[in-house]
Amino acid sequence: MRTIKHIIPFFVILFFFNGCTKDDVEGPSITDLYGTFSITDAFLLVNKTPDFSSGDIVKFNCGFNKTIDWKITITGLQSNSIKEISGFSNLIDSNIVTWTGNTSQLPFFEIENCVVELTFLNESDTLRDTLNIIGSNTYQDGILVADFENGLPLDALVSWTPNIGFRTFDISNDDPLLGNSYFKMGGKVNWDWPIGKLDLKLNLSSITVPAEEFYINIGILSDSIDIHTGQFINIMISESTLPFNDDLTPNQAGHQLADIFDATDEVYKMKIPVDWHGWRILSFPYSDFEELSPGASGVIFNKNPKNISGIRIACQACPSAGANVNCPENLDKLVRTDIDHIIFTENSALLGN
Amino acid sequence: MNKALNTILLPLMIFSFHSFLNAQTSNETVWFNGLARSYFSRDVLGNTTDTLYPRNSSNGYNLVDLNIHANPIKTIEIFAQLRVRNQFGSFFGSGTNIDVRQLRASGTIKNKFNFSVGDIFLKQNRFTLYNYNEELSSFENDMFKPYRDIIHYENFYIDNRWRLQGLQTDFSLQFDRFIRTLEFDFFITRPRGSTQLGSNTYSPDLILSGGSIVSKITKKLSFEVNYINLFEIPSSGNMNISINNPVYHSGLNYKYNKNNFKISHKLQTGFSERNWLFSELDNGSDSTGFTTRGMFFEFENEFLVKDSSFRLVLGARYVDPNFRSAGSQTRRIDFNTEIQNTVYPFHTNDYIPRPSSAFDLLSDENRFNQDLSGTLMSFNPIYSNVLPYGDATPNRTGFYLSASMNKNQILFSNIKTAYFNEVIGQGTTEKRNFLLLAGDLKININEILKKPKEFSLSFSFWNELTSRDGDVVEELNLNSSHINGFINLEFSKNFYFQLGLKQINASGKEFITQRNEYGVIQNFSLVNYDQSDFIYFTGINYKIKKNIYANIQYNWWGEDLNNPNNPTFNDFNYRRLLFIFSVKL
Repeated sequence: MRTIKHIIPFFVILFFFNGCTKDDVEGPSITDLYGTFSITDAFLLVNKTPDFSSGDIVKFNCGFNKTIDWKITITGLQSNSIKEISGFSNLIDSNIVTWTGNTSQLPFFEIENCVVELTFLNESDTLRDTLNIIGSNTYQDGILVADFENGLPLDALVSWTPNIGFRTFDISNDDPLLGNSYFKMGGKVNWDWPIGKLDLKLNLSSITVPAEEFYINIGILSDSIDIHTGQFINIMISESTLPFNDDLTPNQAGHQLADIFDATDEVYKMKIPVDWHGWRILSFPYSDFEELSPGASGVIFNKNPKNISGIRIACQACPSAGANVNCPENLDKLVRTDIDHIIFTENSALLGN
Repeated sequence: MNKALNTILLPLMIFSFHSFLNAQTSNETVWFNGLARSYFSRDVLGNTTDTLYPRNSSNGYNLVDLNIHANPIKTIEIFAQLRVRNQFGSFFGSGTNIDVRQLRASGTIKNKFNFSVGDIFLKQNRFTLYNYNEELSSFENDMFKPYRDIIHYENFYIDNRWRLQGLQTDFSLQFDRFIRTLEFDFFITRPRGSTQLGSNTYSPDLILSGGSIVSKITKKLSFEVNYINLFEIPSSGNMNISINNPVYHSGLNYKYNKNNFKISHKLQTGFSERNWLFSELDNGSDSTGFTTRGMFFEFENEFLVKDSSFRLVLGARYVDPNFRSAGSQTRRIDFNTEIQNTVYPFHTNDYIPRPSSAFDLLSDENRFNQDLSGTLMSFNPIYSNVLPYGDATPNRTGFYLSASMNKNQILFSNIKTAYFNEVIGQGTTEKRNFLLLAGDLKININEILKKPKEFSLSFSFWNELTSRDGDVVEELNLNSSHINGFINLEFSKNFYFQLGLKQINASGKEFITQRNEYGVIQNFSLVNYDQSDFIYFTGINYKIKKNIYANIQYNWWGEDLNNPNNPTFNDFNYRRLLFIFSVKL
């Protein structure tokens, strides 16, 4: 009996320890590291005939037995546009993984049939399906600044360097990014940096997101055939409280210029070298812009999207002649930095989702 | 060498004679002890297909460790250990090294406070500060005593203590009511000083401090609390990352006699925290990260026959997966792959690093570690998988039993068994199960035959089984068995003929855990084992006196990897002739 008295506490403690086991895992999943890959839930597309122009989305669903790098590739059979969606998980959740009809690689998707492929890193399995776009994405989900469909926006000011040899600062219809029109912006000025510019007046007082979550998106067209290799676009965004165009004195070429982009104003800039062929949509968070004149006296640089009062898109190129010859190899070469579909978006870039 | 020895020993002799004369007139005394050893080994390549390496190589040295004990007064002792070592083959005195190996001052103040300053050897309990024996050393019955003696002596492994440098003090109080005694022990040491890691990078000082309070409440009941903390002082370096690992422990011990038994029940528990302080960050604030907290619990019962002929220990233990105690979880052997073996570090004509085998763990003193580690060190599951960090191994829950028996000095036997589970799974919700079955038997045949000369046979078996259920990827099953056999025959007075073998067979599948610098598991490496390590030896031991012996032996050792595609691929085998003459002064 006394022996039992000693043994009972021992078993009580054993029972206690047994209850201490935890249903948790330490370290990465062994199945993910060494397991053989297999599909546990079939690859499903929800809405195979989306009308993206009316806000439709396509949902994707699939399940695997291990966490893996996966990629969904949607290819337009007519446009050759490509959209890629990727992730690292053991589930493609239709509540999370969706497509709004946008693209990862221009041109944009059209009304067309598409092939959908689901592939996995280091696995040979490929799952395929198709869908039919009956209405394409219009990319209007943001604050549209200019799409040039009805000419230049109200209060827009176009100017170029005086005595320019050749210029194309006009609305054109031959090769738009979206819709039917775009703004051609190019020319030839061997002896100076500026070619020309477009100033647009803005009122974004309803914006509430910070600079980090406020994106400017712009379509830029160029070509690479005998083009100026030192060409670039300079974007300036002003938060100046001065009137947009109070001083009506024209420049030497007889053009009006906005009054809010001077070095004494709260202006931010970004330089974009343009060295590709065809259209591209570029997106930048406002927070990436630099101060135009960091030492400007009396100017407090404090980026706030809702205070943006104007944007300047300037076409520039490295001089190939004259007093400052920086790019002699580009003598007499044309500059081309055409633009289309300038739109601000909140929280993510235009093609971000 | 003679020159060097004369240079050292002559002044010492004069000094000691002078001290001796002084000691006659005052209470000052100086006395000496130490150790002398001659060591010679000749290693021979066994695999004739390896043509890139010398067929054989020899190595050896003479050394004398002279311990000087100076007592300026009766209660103070100044201790210094000087080492003179001469490598064989060096040119005159150029290969002779003279080192101060240990320095310590110790004594008693007012007959109450004991103190030690300098090199001190510390141990608390199995969960706070404890230097666990290395794997493969259990149940050997002194088979490889010459090797083990050298490894333990050279690495300061004494009674499972860690050798540290610092200050230690203890004192005790006695009471005549409520409790009987109260004993205090405190220490502070610096296991590692600030060191330059790069051109502008300095590591901080690493400090180990702690204390114990033990109270005998009644004649049968005692209580103890222990605290230990391994931490770095950020301001002493410029890495801005410093570890902090306090461990708290308390225990209750109840001892009593019943019939012919001494019985004790011991309950102990505690918890630990470990974190890293990231100081002077860009935002100007400090923050802690990688914080882990864990507890342990152990209930142990011991039944000991009063004449010590039989002892049984039965216990149960829970150690949380996040329990971290640098003082008790630091291993003697680090299986970090960057550490090369001393003997034939590369093999095959592809010049690949030779994996460590049982013989390297037995004989290579450079493989052993003397520094406390704030993170769990790597281990090899075929040598130790049930409790690679001793009783403080985290993520274990289960029970254990051990017994030892001594039958009239004729038969000695030990049994050890344990069954543990993981508390949480590693890489899966399935948990590993561990089973340890071990036992040894030593028979003194001369006692049976009533002969004066020693003749003993001993055999031991140590088997570790690890398994885990689950799907084909998660499941594992590793079987590792260690076998020792030893014959010790005194064929002439003090001359012993010895014959022994050690074999480790391992087969099965296991995942090796890979952790980052903060101890977080990053990956699991799958390893399929099917290998045998072997050491065979024969030799003669001349035991001149208790502490003086000469040993000459010949070893055959190696590893069979049982590669299914090429049975001899990457196998290796070597031989060694070893001579040791050891004198403990």
